[in-house]
Amino acid sequence: MPSADVVVIGAGLAGLTAAIAAAESGAHVVVLAKGHAATHWGPGGIDVAGIPAASTPRDGIRLLAGEPGHPYAFLGDDVAAALDWLRPHLAAGGVDYVGDLDTPLQAVPTSIGGTRRAAILPAGQAAALSPWASGERLVVCGIAGFKDFWPEAIAASLLRERIWQGGSRPASVTSISVALPGLAARHNLNALEIARRFDDPAWRATAIAALARAIAAVPGSGGRVALPAVLGIRDHAAVLAAAEEHLPAAPFEMPLVPPSLPGMRLYAALRAALIRAGGRVQVGEMIERVEHDGQRVTAVVAAAAARTYTVRTGALIIATGGIAGGGLVAERDGRLIEVVLGLPVEAPPVEEWLAADAFDPAGHPLEKAGIRTDTELRPIGADGAPVFDNLRVAGSTLAGQRYIGERCGDGVALTSGRRAARSLTAVPAGHAAEPGSKRA
Amino acid sequence: MTIAELIKDAAEEAVGYTSDECLKCNVCLTVCPVARVTDLFPGPKYVGPQAQRFRTGRAQPVQVAGTPVPLSPDVTVDYCSGCGWCTTACPAGVKIAEMNSQSRARMKAGKRPRLRDWGLGQTDLVGRVGVLFSPISNWALANRPIRAIMETTVGIHREAPFPKFGRRTLQATWKRRQKRRGTTAVPGPEKAVVYFHGCSANYYEQHVADAAIEILRRNGFETIIPEQVCCGLPLISNGIYTEARQRAHKNLDVLARYARQGYRIVGTSTSCTHTIKAEYREMLDIHEDDATLVANATWDICEFLLDLHEQGRLDTRFGRLDEDLPYHAPCQLRSHGIGLPAMDLFALVPGLRAADMDHDCCGIAGTYGMKKEKYPIGMAVGAPLFDKIRASGAPEAACDSETCRWQIEKATGTRTRHPIEILLQAYRAGDAESRTQSGQPAAEGS
Repeated sequence: MPSADVVVIGAGLAGLTAAIAAAESGAHVVVLAKGHAATHWGPGGIDVAGIPAASTPRDGIRLLAGEPGHPYAFLGDDVAAALDWLRPHLAAGGVDYVGDLDTPLQAVPTSIGGTRRAAILPAGQAAALSPWASGERLVVCGIAGFKDFWPEAIAASLLRERIWQGGSRPASVTSISVALPGLAARHNLNALEIARRFDDPAWRATAIAALARAIAAVPGSGGRVALPAVLGIRDHAAVLAAAEEHLPAAPFEMPLVPPSLPGMRLYAALRAALIRAGGRVQVGEMIERVEHDGQRVTAVVAAAAARTYTVRTGALIIATGGIAGGGLVAERDGRLIEVVLGLPVEAPPVEEWLAADAFDPAGHPLEKAGIRTDTELRPIGADGAPVFDNLRVAGSTLAGQRYIGERCGDGVALTSGRRAARSLTAVPAGHAAEPGSKRA
Repeated sequence: MTIAELIKDAAEEAVGYTSDECLKCNVCLTVCPVARVTDLFPGPKYVGPQAQRFRTGRAQPVQVAGTPVPLSPDVTVDYCSGCGWCTTACPAGVKIAEMNSQSRARMKAGKRPRLRDWGLGQTDLVGRVGVLFSPISNWALANRPIRAIMETTVGIHREAPFPKFGRRTLQATWKRRQKRRGTTAVPGPEKAVVYFHGCSANYYEQHVADAAIEILRRNGFETIIPEQVCCGLPLISNGIYTEARQRAHKNLDVLARYARQGYRIVGTSTSCTHTIKAEYREMLDIHEDDATLVANATWDICEFLLDLHEQGRLDTRFGRLDEDLPYHAPCQLRSHGIGLPAMDLFALVPGLRAADMDHDCCGIAGTYGMKKEKYPIGMAVGAPLFDKIRASGAPEAACDSETCRWQIEKATGTRTRHPIEILLQAYRAGDAESRTQSGQPAAEGS
């Protein structure tokens, strides 16, 4: 039975951010995760507040902070600092992010031919962020045999003016499909496999030359080229640089169905930052229960091949996600259960669950379900008092947000993760079982 | 099929039915070491939960219209190395690696196994014969022309790592020692543990057993070594479940007798202990009470020592070992779900700078990387690990699994030892330090 100062449950953006922040302060941190998901399923950007009414993320934070019970009410002022703190960690992992809270939200085209409002994106998607100049063309470039990206369908959809949400749009959208060496015969060709080939400098050179020829053959010049997000995994920065240098249009990646390469790169950079800070990540951990002594969490117990696996801990951060991520599950009788500790869940009445349009762009009311906390992210009970002293909750498990519909999930995740860790590690020295204290 | 039959089927085919939870997100592919290096294996999802839909009822291969024989939906499942990373990373709890192993076994069921696969599965038979003729067998395995013939005829790659057979088995040595010592009363379960040595310590690496026995004794535990056979994992990996079940039952009969008395079963081969803990029940579908009783009594040795430490009972008089120690956590250790106990124990040794190499798989995956057609895949899987270990410049490395140790040693030329050998060295350094402090001359390595 090993021991930690801080155990974090969940390895998404919130969990890993919390873990990095805690490890940086000298705490011995162990992340226990059921598997990979949140990062590997997402488009890899950092959505802070992409609501239609907002012009910039900062504007969006202000608007959301005014909504009753929204986590930005107490986290909003901290988002900028959290982003500034995270950026160098990601850059050290080879993933540069462009855009900040004052970058205008732009309708960025997606791989199903829609657009999504974004402002903070990895370098590979950066070329999608600037407004379209008059006469500027867009080439949507697919890879022959690759079934997760249909350039003709994407282009046909992007030709419709309303897709661009009232913003600027390309003057023309053309689709092409390029055969890349050795891929056409593959039966189950997937994004990761192509990305790994791009990591190989020799293959990369041939492939980019083929792409360049095909794009050059499209009438017009300059403009931008949308490619499926397959531009390398280990050596993404080099692949992107080569594409930018050799392609006759400014390239940007369109994130795809899972596993999402931009999301995987984000995960890899976060994990690397945690390992550098001395933390540990263990995936495949199914949490069975949490042990506590009165108001203090003392240990986390996970399933194992036989018996159970116990990690004694000075503190616990729950970052297991919301109803979509598995941090909350719904019972048939309409109760919502928080899976780790059975914490009190704040949720809309069950009558509203099915009344809503499942595809409402504003999101589903159930997204708002979650754990109510104080400003230090301690879960609170009906009386408003913290349920446990050394427990924090971060990310989409927090109540009051529509992490998908409001496009605020990433901003809430990284800001709450960092604050949760800091509030745990800032406890004055001499408090025997608190993190930061020496292990026995 | 009646409802009752369906329910019974679901209970017995627990692994296969987890495919219902699959979201097709392909996260498993992102962690698959084999798919990372070869196009021959499309990835865990394609041959696992995706193909499972076509394996109907009791998972018989589906009949394809117009074909004379039932076809398995994807024969490339044989390229799965069984490392288990897919199961670990799945966010939905699908038992992908287990499903793939069972599919492989079904694919091979009813056919005579390839001599090579059968032979690689018979580690105890090979061990017995090898030890019996050890000077000859060791010479043969080191002889390049013979290895080339073995590759052509049997299909075991000429470069595949093979350890040297011991001069006698651990069982024989132990009996000899017991005889010399005379009959002594066996201590109770508080003062003794049952040692599951597995094939490696029995036939090849008696020094690992010696280290385990000495460390256990230092911590107040005598060792009981009952008659035992191969855990059966090599047979499971090669899809030969019937024989694996025979081995499992033999071991369970012996081990359950001890487990019922409260003895714990401690093993130095992390893949054997994992097989006893998980695979007898999950893969071989042995659901008798004894299987659970024995599973719950079984410990990986580092897990056992760390547990002693948590109880404040571990002798921590480790001496200083001033060295860098690259450590590789084997896939099977991860499947235990016990964290990295060796790393936690290394942290107790003053001066020891153990570094987790943080690499998925060394590529050997039991007997996978020994096979002619899979050897290059295994080497490619392990390449980043080998590079890291070579780059560390460390004189030795550590790893809990024997086949991984052989693979790493062969590929890097770096001596690779079981964590408990390192710990024993630290204990001995501690003895020397305390003798020096108490004014007695230090005797190196005594």
